[in-house]
Amino acid sequence: MDNTVVISTPPHVKSKRTTRGIMIDVCIALMPCVIAGIVFFGWQALVVELVAVAACVATEFVYFFIANKGFSNKCRDAGKVCKRWLKQFDFTSVVTGLILALILPSAVKWYEVLIGGIFSIAIVKMLFGGTGKNLVNPAAAGRVFMFLSFSATMIKYGLPNFDAVSLDSGALSTGATNLAGLLGENPSSQLSALDLFLGSGVPGCIGETCKVAILVGFIYLCVRKVIKWWQPLMFIAIFGLVAVLLSGFAYDSYTFDIGLFLPHVLSGGVLFGAVFMFTDYVTSPRSVWGQVLFIGLGAIITAALRYMTGIEVTSFVIMLMNLFVPLIDKYVFPKPFGYKKPAKEGK
Amino acid sequence: MKAVKGKFYFGGIHPRGAKALSESAPLEVMPASATVAISTSQSLGKPAVPCVTVGQAVKEGEIIAKADGAISSDVFSSVAGTVAEIRQEKGVNGADETFIVINAQENGEKFTFPALTQPSADEIRARIRDCGIVGLGGAGFPTAVKVAPKTPVDALIVNGAECEPYLTCDHRLMLEKADEIVRGARYIAKALGVENIIIGIEANKPDAIALFEPYEDIKVVILRKQYPMGGEKQLIYVTTGRKVGLGKLPADSGVVVQNVATCYAVCEAVELGKPLYERVLTVSGTAVAQPKNLWVKLGTPVKDIIEYCGGESSTPKKAVLGGPMTGVAIANYDSYTHKTTSGILLLSGKEATADEPTPCVSCGKCADVCPMHLMPMNTAFYAAAGDYDAAAKYGNVAACIECGACEYICPAKRPLIQAIRKTKAELRNKK
Repeated sequence: MDNTVVISTPPHVKSKRTTRGIMIDVCIALMPCVIAGIVFFGWQALVVELVAVAACVATEFVYFFIANKGFSNKCRDAGKVCKRWLKQFDFTSVVTGLILALILPSAVKWYEVLIGGIFSIAIVKMLFGGTGKNLVNPAAAGRVFMFLSFSATMIKYGLPNFDAVSLDSGALSTGATNLAGLLGENPSSQLSALDLFLGSGVPGCIGETCKVAILVGFIYLCVRKVIKWWQPLMFIAIFGLVAVLLSGFAYDSYTFDIGLFLPHVLSGGVLFGAVFMFTDYVTSPRSVWGQVLFIGLGAIITAALRYMTGIEVTSFVIMLMNLFVPLIDKYVFPKPFGYKKPAKEGK
Repeated sequence: MKAVKGKFYFGGIHPRGAKALSESAPLEVMPASATVAISTSQSLGKPAVPCVTVGQAVKEGEIIAKADGAISSDVFSSVAGTVAEIRQEKGVNGADETFIVINAQENGEKFTFPALTQPSADEIRARIRDCGIVGLGGAGFPTAVKVAPKTPVDALIVNGAECEPYLTCDHRLMLEKADEIVRGARYIAKALGVENIIIGIEANKPDAIALFEPYEDIKVVILRKQYPMGGEKQLIYVTTGRKVGLGKLPADSGVVVQNVATCYAVCEAVELGKPLYERVLTVSGTAVAQPKNLWVKLGTPVKDIIEYCGGESSTPKKAVLGGPMTGVAIANYDSYTHKTTSGILLLSGKEATADEPTPCVSCGKCADVCPMHLMPMNTAFYAAAGDYDAAAKYGNVAACIECGACEYICPAKRPLIQAIRKTKAELRNKK
């Protein structure tokens, strides 16, 4: 034995999973959506995806470079700072970039994506302390920021087409994805559930239209044990039931038509949000019961807001619920094994 | 009795067992070293008080330090020879310990208590105390205290889980000495006045389970392969469905837990009159030349044990006394075995990773695997900020059993156990 031996507190063996590995797994899980987006929406989607990822990674790098004094002393330490950045690079910004791109419509301009990506990382993530410290989901916040800043393009959803997409005004459906039909006066104008599931002929965001791709990603994440399988399912179930209940009021028929469950769940970005955004580690509660509360409340608010506004609200709700997380974490934590309620004194 | 499956409990991890390294190596007796250094701190509670002087000749099995108070245990010489030195030295966990150094001589005399036949409960209890038996599972709680519980008990649980990776010595002991373990368990049950004996064995040892099934008075419970199955509170819940309250002893729930090695020691103490001065331990890890399961005398230098196992096969990244999940990392081989040393592991760089911690992403995996259902990430978060009261409150540190599952699973490689221990120490200092 020489003096290279390491001394530390136990345990001395650890699992091989690292944060970087988990984030790469999330990237892999997003790949079906990325590819489906390119197939459905053409090179426009590819441009949006590339710009978003590049903007996020570059912003993180620049922030790290400045914060670690890469520019001081006439950039003397620039090389070292770059090496350190590479060493700590954990793919979280890639995940943010991918998710941001996938919840945008393909018609959005490249410079708008660039600004959205920079906002996501610089303002929402890095200014709060970087990985693990951000209060709200950077991608959701970025989308909300873009929605408010560039509302003209953000509500123009391109119709997916297996031919080259022509972006003249005729092919663009203005208005919400399938929600306008679903929540409007004439429910018969809806698309079929199968169309919604496959994403064929459905206007929508790049990654949110093809539900098959999302399901593939979901199964991959479950198999790799990155997310808990019950979280998205619970979200979908509660959301669907509340949405069906509310639709009863919408048509003044007060009926509970379970047939509306699938169209509701498969419309818009609910499925994507449930699988990839409500399960985000950083911005969801730490304890299991906290997560149950977070997802349950999130699902109810999503359904209610959707019913009231008629537009896609998932990312708004995610942002809103993220702000509740510190509060939930403070009051909801598990009882230790063997805990007994202390007997009441007096009386 | 026919084996039954244990109850399910939430939490726990499934580490790579790595037991194949030493699983098939039969127990062998390691020859006595030329010099042994026996610490007087061999159990929980107060260290024993030396009752020999330098230069005195001692027999193998003769008492060299007497128990000091109720929670303490007698210490016996593991070799015949002369006392060379009594010195103060830092032990492996950093506290000062008194070591009694004995130079061994060949063909020395052996001391044993008279063998007992058909002993009464009182005789067994007295013998367990006289032979200095402590829990050999790891904590080293004096067995004499455990067999005289203050509350009524109705079950004895024998712990054959051996859930720690790498360690196989209890498994080998169960395979080779099943009958002695059963007899020892019966003696303990008699001392406690209970009829109900349950043995819990992890499902990865089917051969050991098969060996205990023929005994009609022993209930065999198959435990899921899950760490920490052998934790006292977890084992009690899985085998009997009882939950031990926070800060309570198992006896408060009417059960007493004993390790298989302790049962074997009790059997030897009763039937042969042999005090506890040697134990089984596993030498394993990929950095040791020949992984082995050994009978090792108390106070044997670690250096001698490593040499007996063929030395290092590659440079170890970590050397560990005990199991990989709860053991102590040692900086050099200048330490000695204790009654509670269940293994010596030389881990290569592939097995023992020492990665830089990355920021916590609040994934909650540590809370998911915690067998006590605590929130380790909260402890680490507040302890890093120096707010130990909040760390104790939001992480429920008082209930932590320091099994290490949280740090094992942490993808960010945060030093959670370190934060928990620091918090516990700060709370103790405050009192």
